[in-house]
Amino acid sequence: MTSIRPTLFVTGTVLSILAVAMLIPAIIDVMHGHSDWRVFAGAALVTLFVGLALVASNRHAPRRSVGTRQIFLLTATAWIAASLAAALPFAFAGLHMSAADAVFEAVSGTTATGGTVLRELDTLPPGILMWRALLQWLGGIGFLAMAVVVLPTLNIGGMQIFRLESAGGGDRAMPRTARLVASLTGLYAGLTALLTLLLWIAGMHRFPALLHAMSTISCGGFSTDDGSIGAWHRPAVEWVILLGMLMGGAPFVVYLQLVQRRWRTALANNQLPWYFGIFLISTVVIALWLGYYLDLKPLPALRHAAFAVASIMTGTGYASYDYTLWGGLPVTMLFFLAFVGGCAGSTAGGIKVFRVRILFATMRIQLIRLLHPHAVLESVGDPVAESVLGYLFVYALAFGVVAMGLGALGLDFFPAISTAASALANLGPGLAASVGPMTGFADLAEPAKWLLAAAMLFGRLEMFVLLVLFTPSFWRS
Amino acid sequence: MLLDFRPVLVVNGFVLLILAAAMIVPLGVDWAVGGGESAAFLLAIAVTGFAGATFILAARSGGGRSRLHSREAFFATVTSWVLGGIFASLPLMFGSLHLHIVDALFESVSGLTTTGATVITGLDGAPAAQLLWRALLNWLGGIGIILTAVAVLPLLRIGGMQLFRLDSSEVGEATIPRLSQQGRGLLIVYPAFTAVLAVAFAISGMNALESVCHAMSALSTGGFSTSDQSLGHFGDGAHWVAVVGMIAGAITFSLYLEPLRRGPTTIFADSQVRRFLILIATFSLLLALWNWGSRGMAVGPALRLSIFNTVSILTTTGFHSGDYDAWGGFAQVAFFVMALIGGCTGSAAGGIKVFRFEVLLASASIHLKRLLHPHGMFAIELNKRRITDPVVRSVMSFVMLYLTSVSLLALALAVTGLDATTSLSGAAAALGNVGPGLGHLIGPAGSYHAVPVAAKWILIAGMILGRLELATVIVLFTPTFWRS
Repeated sequence: MTSIRPTLFVTGTVLSILAVAMLIPAIIDVMHGHSDWRVFAGAALVTLFVGLALVASNRHAPRRSVGTRQIFLLTATAWIAASLAAALPFAFAGLHMSAADAVFEAVSGTTATGGTVLRELDTLPPGILMWRALLQWLGGIGFLAMAVVVLPTLNIGGMQIFRLESAGGGDRAMPRTARLVASLTGLYAGLTALLTLLLWIAGMHRFPALLHAMSTISCGGFSTDDGSIGAWHRPAVEWVILLGMLMGGAPFVVYLQLVQRRWRTALANNQLPWYFGIFLISTVVIALWLGYYLDLKPLPALRHAAFAVASIMTGTGYASYDYTLWGGLPVTMLFFLAFVGGCAGSTAGGIKVFRVRILFATMRIQLIRLLHPHAVLESVGDPVAESVLGYLFVYALAFGVVAMGLGALGLDFFPAISTAASALANLGPGLAASVGPMTGFADLAEPAKWLLAAAMLFGRLEMFVLLVLFTPSFWRS
Repeated sequence: MLLDFRPVLVVNGFVLLILAAAMIVPLGVDWAVGGGESAAFLLAIAVTGFAGATFILAARSGGGRSRLHSREAFFATVTSWVLGGIFASLPLMFGSLHLHIVDALFESVSGLTTTGATVITGLDGAPAAQLLWRALLNWLGGIGIILTAVAVLPLLRIGGMQLFRLDSSEVGEATIPRLSQQGRGLLIVYPAFTAVLAVAFAISGMNALESVCHAMSALSTGGFSTSDQSLGHFGDGAHWVAVVGMIAGAITFSLYLEPLRRGPTTIFADSQVRRFLILIATFSLLLALWNWGSRGMAVGPALRLSIFNTVSILTTTGFHSGDYDAWGGFAQVAFFVMALIGGCTGSAAGGIKVFRFEVLLASASIHLKRLLHPHGMFAIELNKRRITDPVVRSVMSFVMLYLTSVSLLALALAVTGLDATTSLSGAAAALGNVGPGLGHLIGPAGSYHAVPVAAKWILIAGMILGRLELATVIVLFTPTFWRS
């Protein structure tokens, strides 16, 4: 059995960061004179104690020997431990949330999903609101770092094509990776600040502007009002959030290249045409439908359609208008867009655009092979294609299982399948009125909340990171 | 090379002649019972027979040797199913049912593809000849797809079907003798099973027409019934007979020929059949638990209804025993998933097929092992045969093509104004050749009668697409197919 010291060390580090983060809502509650600050401070102390204890007792872990297995184990463990620790403030604050509710809300935060079990959000204490947004923000940067550094080295679902040039060992690999993560974090913080400013200019107050900026750039989707973004009744706010969601769902490496003035490389990114292509086509189709059947004027139709498409594709889950009421085509289309997702190397969830691209390329080649069995065809490497198709199959399988589970726990057909798709894609709300963006998940049965929390983690960890832990050969020495 | 149309014409002419000959059966029945459908069937026989004879004569008029390469095989397969559907709709249009052209075509394509979705309400009072014709369409479609699956699809290497090739050689003369030997075997087994089923149905209390019709539509996994209430109109005995018939129709038919040579246990030695039966047992049990625990049904009926409806959907038959759509969320999602899975390859059943799930699951587990041991060597074995990488890839892309087609079909249905549940389940039911979908409109309690005309055309396309394993049809629309 390989050493679990690296796992404990990384988990301890993550917990310590989370503990420091808990101090922010504590300070905000102190400023507003709300008694919840004691809960946040207490939770921070407990988390910090556990985190530091783990770090201190495992700091002599041999750096060199971190193998594939340990990376799987530490990624999964750190993510689960952080979600559980993040649930502490929810469980002990004045909201009287049950264990299932607290864990659901925390997981929905760390996985940047955005489904909520809380109601009357506008009456919640400022500390809790800040904590929800902060979780999504931290979860977003955590996922981004994982998608850029960890997943490609683990060969998860074709992510190996994003492997960094520096990877493959060597002494320079570590510092270069660290530098990349540092610049991504800086970029992420910068974009958040920019969005906050824009939202403030568009007419939001400073506090909600900051919170919405944090959960927009992370493709999270926690709002401060039950009516989501639609509650502001300000088109300018919707346009800014729309921009923010699209930025969150695009590959962040492109921004780095733009900052470094490598225009060509940035524009040559082969995910962007598909990302914006799918976005534009879906937007136009849905806008036409809205104009025709719901008698919306062209500009509002376009705005609401673009907002919904971006929100679903990137897995944010905001709504400018309750899209569950739009009828057949828009709802069916949004359902499939929930599967498509955003770009790899972004904060968006779902299958991801690059996998859809590889899927279509592979299907095209198979069709040509039917006619010309011996033709030599240009294609992405076969191992990559196989790994992508395997990923899609597991995704479909997981979707079926979660949907049946939700059906058994009391949801009807369409609420069940759309919520299952939404949880796996880290989107948030379902596409039926009973689980929609204006309703939330407060009415679900407790077991359904546990199932959804598991599905969100499963989706965020790109399935295989968790799945591999359940294979017997993982635990065999 | 230009497409050689002569073999295409011969195949199509042959199919039409068989159809015309089959129409004589309901004609005879109509004469016997005096139903007043004789003129319609006579006219249909004349038109279909004339068209078939013309095709064959036209093909013979040109000299030289004709060839049947893969392009011709693709083209002949697709055109013969489409033309068969068109000519089979004639009696429905001419007869006393007076179906509109879309409805008649929907009904005949639904019959030939063994889908079993119907636009007719008031079946209980429909003329005997028409009921028999619908059942006959299911039956002919069933043997048609079994022969296509055995003879044509493996040669075309669609979705891993190359594994089921009878001979290792490419398209050539060597395959013909064994093929026809097996074909002859199937042509004996299929009618024999139908006869046994018809007798069993009669013993369970059906009259002669009902038992023959249900025997034909159960074995072919078609699902046309003689009553609007489907099997709900008949007693428990009929349900159990139908269960046996549907399962028999959804098992690889060439396996039925094996016991003659190697003993009777070979059917259950086949891993696909074993897993198919395990799937039926699992889903039946889950649904029975759901009906018993959550919906308060008594144990007996919960088991019987769950087994019957599970078998009906997994075999893609589409019989029902009452409105299972009202069974609630879990049942609806389960039926949706089952409609995607389907039966065994080389049977009359539709869907993705159990064999492909076996390959995908094995491949996914290898993928998991490879994450830990990137340089390890792993191999997939099914039925003691090595599954090579090209087969795995072809299976994987077939399944993804299938799911993509369901999505696009559902989107197209949604454009016509159907809601999300109806669009999704209708797309899955058409592509899987199941029949009923979910929701009050096209669910087991409804019918496709009230669906918009545009949606009917989309569903017709979906049924043919699904029956011919997608790629056979889609390949005709690729530019490379028509490039010389």
